[in-house]
Amino acid sequence: MTGAGRVLSGFAALVYALILAPIVVVVMLAFSADNFILFPPSGYSLRWFNQLASNGPLLTALWLSVRIAAVVTLLSLAIGVPAALALAKGRFAGKEALSGFFLAPLLLPTLITGLALLLFFSPLKLTATLPGLVLGHMTVTVPFVIRMMTTALANLPDDIEAAAATLGASPWRVVRRVTLPLATPGLIACACLSFLLSFDETVISLFIAGPRASTLPVEMVRYVEGRTDPLIAALSVVLIVATLVVVLVVERLVGVARAVGK
Amino acid sequence: MSYLELSGLQKRYGNSVAVDDVSLAVEQGESVALLGPSGCGKTTTLRMLAGLIEPNRGTMTLDGSEITQLPAHKRNMGYVFQSYALFPHLSVARNIAFGLEERGVGRAEIAKRVEEALALVRLAGMEQRRPKELSGGQQQRVALARALVIQPSVLLLDESLSNLDAKLRDAMRHEIRSIQRSLGITTLLVTHDQVEALTMCDRIAVMHRGRIAQIGSAEDIYERPATRFVAEFVGRANVLPIQRDAQGRAAVWGQAVPVEAAANADLFVRPQRMRIVPASEPTGDGMARLTGRVLRSVFVGDHVEVLVEGAGGQLTVEMPSGMAAPTEGGEVAVVWPRAESRVFAREAP
Repeated sequence: MTGAGRVLSGFAALVYALILAPIVVVVMLAFSADNFILFPPSGYSLRWFNQLASNGPLLTALWLSVRIAAVVTLLSLAIGVPAALALAKGRFAGKEALSGFFLAPLLLPTLITGLALLLFFSPLKLTATLPGLVLGHMTVTVPFVIRMMTTALANLPDDIEAAAATLGASPWRVVRRVTLPLATPGLIACACLSFLLSFDETVISLFIAGPRASTLPVEMVRYVEGRTDPLIAALSVVLIVATLVVVLVVERLVGVARAVGK
Repeated sequence: MSYLELSGLQKRYGNSVAVDDVSLAVEQGESVALLGPSGCGKTTTLRMLAGLIEPNRGTMTLDGSEITQLPAHKRNMGYVFQSYALFPHLSVARNIAFGLEERGVGRAEIAKRVEEALALVRLAGMEQRRPKELSGGQQQRVALARALVIQPSVLLLDESLSNLDAKLRDAMRHEIRSIQRSLGITTLLVTHDQVEALTMCDRIAVMHRGRIAQIGSAEDIYERPATRFVAEFVGRANVLPIQRDAQGRAAVWGQAVPVEAAANADLFVRPQRMRIVPASEPTGDGMARLTGRVLRSVFVGDHVEVLVEGAGGQLTVEMPSGMAAPTEGGEVAVVWPRAESRVFAREAP
């Protein structure tokens, strides 16, 4: 290794250390035996994990978040994938304008989206309801799915779809037999990221969640406002592990799909 | 009426014209090349024929019925793409079966025809491979088998050999030509490689700026180029500017040449049709002649290229190798049969 390489590697290691250090703190706190947040902990135990297992509000919020994320993912794909197909393959007037329109929500601060949704949902009685939260999250995930899938579809190998057409496949058959199978890795990645985006969504949820329907991030924010014990750290470790599992599964599935596909 | 007819085809993209006005008639079983440099509109023409691009103007008829408005999947054209465009997620057998499956052919029949197609392109035993596990030449054969197995009305080959190395390209040229002949399948081939066009096709349409500059047999195109572009693009040619000498006769390098004197024109002569003789030798009957000095002679394997310089320009003579090359710097005469002279007007800039 050259001298410059060593310096750069050292620099990269430092940056990574700074990024990962807070996570180490969280993990250590999760196994704390103390009654309140103290670093480093004076002793280690699993007591906060036991506490977590019997904390009703957090578990309810977790379950709600999982359900919302699942519904959001399904609906976002159901809307976003056909839209991406139309934008990537279709030829119609105003296509560019539509692309821009669909991407606009990604550029808007979620703070503004959240406020707008609150004002818009209140008269409709959609705040603090499951449909309301799903719609709120979809303002983030649908543009994201459209964006990602448009790119994935545009990057298909040249002429593959044209080849299918010359062989006698109608446009719908081309999509079913060629386009979608080849876009599968992108679809899987897109679904998982949508799920995580929805699960993690805090700002919009803070605006439209209420005591009747509170998602996990909202419940966590409320919890740390009132308490200073390591329970949230234990919950964080659970979420970190769950996320890692999802990422590994995606990596595995997309890797397999790639191996099959290309 | 011919089997396949293109008439007045035009394709514009905004202000640029990809295909200006292409009309072409192809007989059943015939093999025709669209030959031209990149950007001449040959691939666009082929894609319009396959239904992949919609023309702005013009019509296409196949076997008496108009197909201009027919979508690609109803045209029954076998298209072999430059990139092969094999389906990466399907095995070789499933790739070839694709068109038959779309036609609702029965399973047993598909199996039989896929096997025949694989045998035809000499890939038996490769059924279960994935495209990425095949070499370029093998992928090319799969693409060909996939296009042929549907028994297409016309086989369209789009620069199909250009991604292969030279040796394989040679072999595939002959292989495709003999398959095309034995099946008697009407074929349109797009290429920028004149050897490909000359060896694989009955007729050649040379395309230039979105139009067909000349159509004819390989010999027609080579021996009797209709335009300056064709003469320059197909084969090699010495391009010698024609002036007028004091008597008003046509002259090159200040020496009179026996051609029609035209203003703003160039004399074209193929290097292989010229010979080098001693400067003292008299001009034979029906021969044209220029004298000059040998600048260089270069051995190129099967022939020797001799560069001759005169007052006001240079020309190249191709001599068969094995003959004694003229000494560099020596005065020589370059002679050629008068019938080999061609005169083309200079194009307006």
